[in-house]
Amino acid sequence: MKQMIEEVEVRAREELFININPIQAAGRLTPEAMKAIMAYGDGYSTCDWCRKPFRLDKIQRPPISDFHIELAKFVGMDQVRVVPGARRGFQAVVSSLVEKGDSVIVSALAHYTEFLAVEGAEGIVKEVPLNEENVVTGEETAQKIEEVKKKTGKLPKLIILDHFDYMLGNEHDIHGTAKVAKDYDIPFLANCAYSLGVMPINGREIGADFLVGSGHKSFASPAPSGILATTDEWADKVFRTTQMVGDVTGRKFGIKEVELLGCTLMGANLIAMMASFPRVRERVKHWNDELEKINYFVDEFLKIEGNNVLSEMPRKHTLTKVDTTGSFDKVARTHKRRGFFFSDEMKKRWIVGEFVGATRQWKLNTYGLTWDQTKHLAQAFQDIAKKYGITVA
Amino acid sequence: MVEKAVEETFAALFALTDLRQIFRDTKPTYQFNSEQKRQIKEIIEKVKKSLDLIEKELIK
Repeated sequence: MKQMIEEVEVRAREELFININPIQAAGRLTPEAMKAIMAYGDGYSTCDWCRKPFRLDKIQRPPISDFHIELAKFVGMDQVRVVPGARRGFQAVVSSLVEKGDSVIVSALAHYTEFLAVEGAEGIVKEVPLNEENVVTGEETAQKIEEVKKKTGKLPKLIILDHFDYMLGNEHDIHGTAKVAKDYDIPFLANCAYSLGVMPINGREIGADFLVGSGHKSFASPAPSGILATTDEWADKVFRTTQMVGDVTGRKFGIKEVELLGCTLMGANLIAMMASFPRVRERVKHWNDELEKINYFVDEFLKIEGNNVLSEMPRKHTLTKVDTTGSFDKVARTHKRRGFFFSDEMKKRWIVGEFVGATRQWKLNTYGLTWDQTKHLAQAFQDIAKKYGITVA
Repeated sequence: MVEKAVEETFAALFALTDLRQIFRDTKPTYQFNSEQKRQIKEIIEKVKKSLDLIEKELIK
């Protein structure tokens, strides 16, 4: 592939290969978003018509203000801001609510950025263990709250739960946890980084106080981009505006929001999110089609002797952890290319995105593949198995 | 009228982006259905027309 600029090649893997990378699938851009990047790639491109009160979410041309209103409706919350990634959403909430030594309940499969957000606020994470199905439930969360209360004499300051986790793509009991959070009067943040933008999500129905989504994971948007939504009740706290006054100049920046450091996605990333929004709004209605495809794929995958799926079954998400220790890894043990033989074989069949060299436990994601591509993928696994003498049922 | 040439430059880039999407939708076998074939033709025509207009505007 030609170089775009010196030493940076054109990235054409989405045009040439079926890409099953677990975290890239639902962040692939729509054509509208690609066009938006071309037209709005210059630095402060969204600021051409920024007028009083000089804040990103108030800009009317392009219609950024309207987008915020529509986005809030779409996620079923009162107010929304765009942020540079879901992690910045966690950070804004944690930094507003948590003080030194406070406990924050997270899942045993919490994303690492939740840990970092809590650490940044000098809080302490308390993990809810998984049940035997590798799922976090409301009951387990309630038990953990009791445990924290008993040990520290105080209730946790916040509960964060990943709707679908990054490791197994399992669905966790977000509704049950929201109910427990209400019962204990603890604010609840639903981390929907792997769900908001691919399936219907309504924060009000969930009972979340905060909803966080990822643009580059699940909203067909460039990195970094994300969504932080909340209720009117919490908006004044998390989206509080600056009160600071310069001691020499007397300057103040009244409308700028402290936790967001003023304006957030000031350019192509935001316009690309806006450009993808109509298709995202439409695609969430077809989540069941995506589930049909991943479940077809795992059915075919499991016909290969020694293959296993580590994620919950049937699949409720396209992100899936598989185990090929009993199949392709056996081949890798004696192959001169070791685990890389599998990547070589995949690439020959125009498939990329698996963890290169891994033949034991690894993750894949079929989101957005057409039926033809899904079948091609399933066939490729079976063809490789047959080539190396592995039985395919 | 450079403005027209600029407009056509974006029009061509956007049309080629639509072609990029067709590659994404049909990879890795690129078995185009009749609708996709029609779209490809339309894109090529659009880009050619834009390039003609750009040439006319800039290199008379």
